[in-house]
Amino acid sequence: MTRSSAASPTDGLTLNTLTIWWDAAADGPTNMAADEWLAAEAERRGSLLLRFYGWTETTISLGGFQKIDEARQMDAIRGVPLVRRPSGGGAIVHGSDLTYAAAVPKSHPWGASPQVFYDALHGAMVETLAEHGIRAWPHPADARSRHDESLFFCFDRRATGDLVMAGPASGTVSKIMGSAQRRLAGVVLQHGSLLLRGNTAVAGSARHPAVSDIVVGQSVPEETALSRAWGARIAHGLGVAVREEEAPFVRGCDLEREAFSSRFRDDRWTARR
Amino acid sequence: MAADLKFAKTHEWVRPEADGVLTVGVSSYAVEALTDLVFMQLPAVGRKVKAGESFGEIESVKAVSDLYAPVSGEIVEVNAALPGKLETLGKDPYGEGWVVRIKADNPAEMDGLLDRAAYDSLVGSQPH
Repeated sequence: MTRSSAASPTDGLTLNTLTIWWDAAADGPTNMAADEWLAAEAERRGSLLLRFYGWTETTISLGGFQKIDEARQMDAIRGVPLVRRPSGGGAIVHGSDLTYAAAVPKSHPWGASPQVFYDALHGAMVETLAEHGIRAWPHPADARSRHDESLFFCFDRRATGDLVMAGPASGTVSKIMGSAQRRLAGVVLQHGSLLLRGNTAVAGSARHPAVSDIVVGQSVPEETALSRAWGARIAHGLGVAVREEEAPFVRGCDLEREAFSSRFRDDRWTARR
Repeated sequence: MAADLKFAKTHEWVRPEADGVLTVGVSSYAVEALTDLVFMQLPAVGRKVKAGESFGEIESVKAVSDLYAPVSGEIVEVNAALPGKLETLGKDPYGEGWVVRIKADNPAEMDGLLDRAAYDSLVGSQPH
C-alpha cells in the first residue's frame, strides 16, 4: 500500500500518545482497507494507533489462509457477506461484537513478538471488564490447547492469551475475545473481537456465547464506554496519554477509499485459498 | 550458524552458493518468535522479485508474517517440501529449512545486508 507521507498537523504529538480512531460503520472491504491504512499511519507516526469500528451488516471475516470453500459450504452462514482479513486466525461473525484494530511499529516494545501485543491488549481488557464486575481471564499457556486449524470459527479455537469466561452453563468455559495479527516489515496490525452481545443474524455453529449470554441478570457495558475505558487502560499500561481523533478513512474521500478497498472486494483476494 | 550468512532486517538469511545462486531462509530468532507454525505459502519458480518485496507468507497461531526478498532477482528453486514439514524451520533453519533460491540481478545488493554480528546486535536489542 502506498500513501502520502506528507507531514501531519498531529506530528510531534503522537510519540507519547495512544491515538484512538472512532470510525463509522462500513462494509467488510472498507473496514479491511481502513485497517491497512491504520497500520501505515502507525508506522509513519512511530506510535500505537487503535481503531474502533462497526459493520453496516452482519459480515464474516475469514482468517488470511482459511479455505473459502469451507465458508461457502457452511449452512449456518449461508448468505452472509464474506471478507478476508490480512491477519491470521479463524472466522469471526461481526455485527454485534466489539471490533478493534490496533497497529504498532515493530520497533515499539509491543511490536517485537506476537504474544506481547496480545497479552498487553487482552490484559487491559481483563481489567476493564473487572471494573464492570465481569470476570474474564487469559487462556493459560499451560492449559490444554484447543488450537486446531480444522475448527472454522475463531471462537471455537483456543490459543494462549485468548480471553475466556466461566459459563454460560455450569462447568463450561467460553472464549469471549480473540485477536490475530499481520506482521509486516515495519509494523504489526492486530485485529480483535470481543463478543459483547449475541448476534441474532446467525444461528447454529455460527452462534457463540457472548458476554450478554453469560452474565444473565447483570448489565452489559455499553460498547463505546467500554471501548473508551479499555483504551484508557491500554494507555495506562504504556504510561502515555490518550488522544482521540476522528478516523480519516471511512469518512474520507470516496475515490481514495474505493482505491484502497478494491483489493478486499476482489475475488482473487477473498478466494485466494 | 554458518559465518558466511548475511541477514535482512526483516529476519531472512542469505547464503551465497558455489553456483552463484543465493539460498534464502528465515532466521532462528524469527522462527522462535512466531511459535507454532501452521501454514506457509511459497512463490512460483520463475517469479521475479525486488529487494524488500514480499515473496511468501507464513502463518503461525493467529499471526501471518510476510517473507521479504533480501535481494532482487529470480526465484529459481523453492523448498516445496517445507510447507508439509514446517517443523523443519525450527529444527534446522539454516540447513533443511531453507525457503527459496534466488538468482540475484545485482550481487552487490548483498553488501547492504547485515553480517552475523550486526544481526545478533539487532535482535539482541529488540524487546522480548
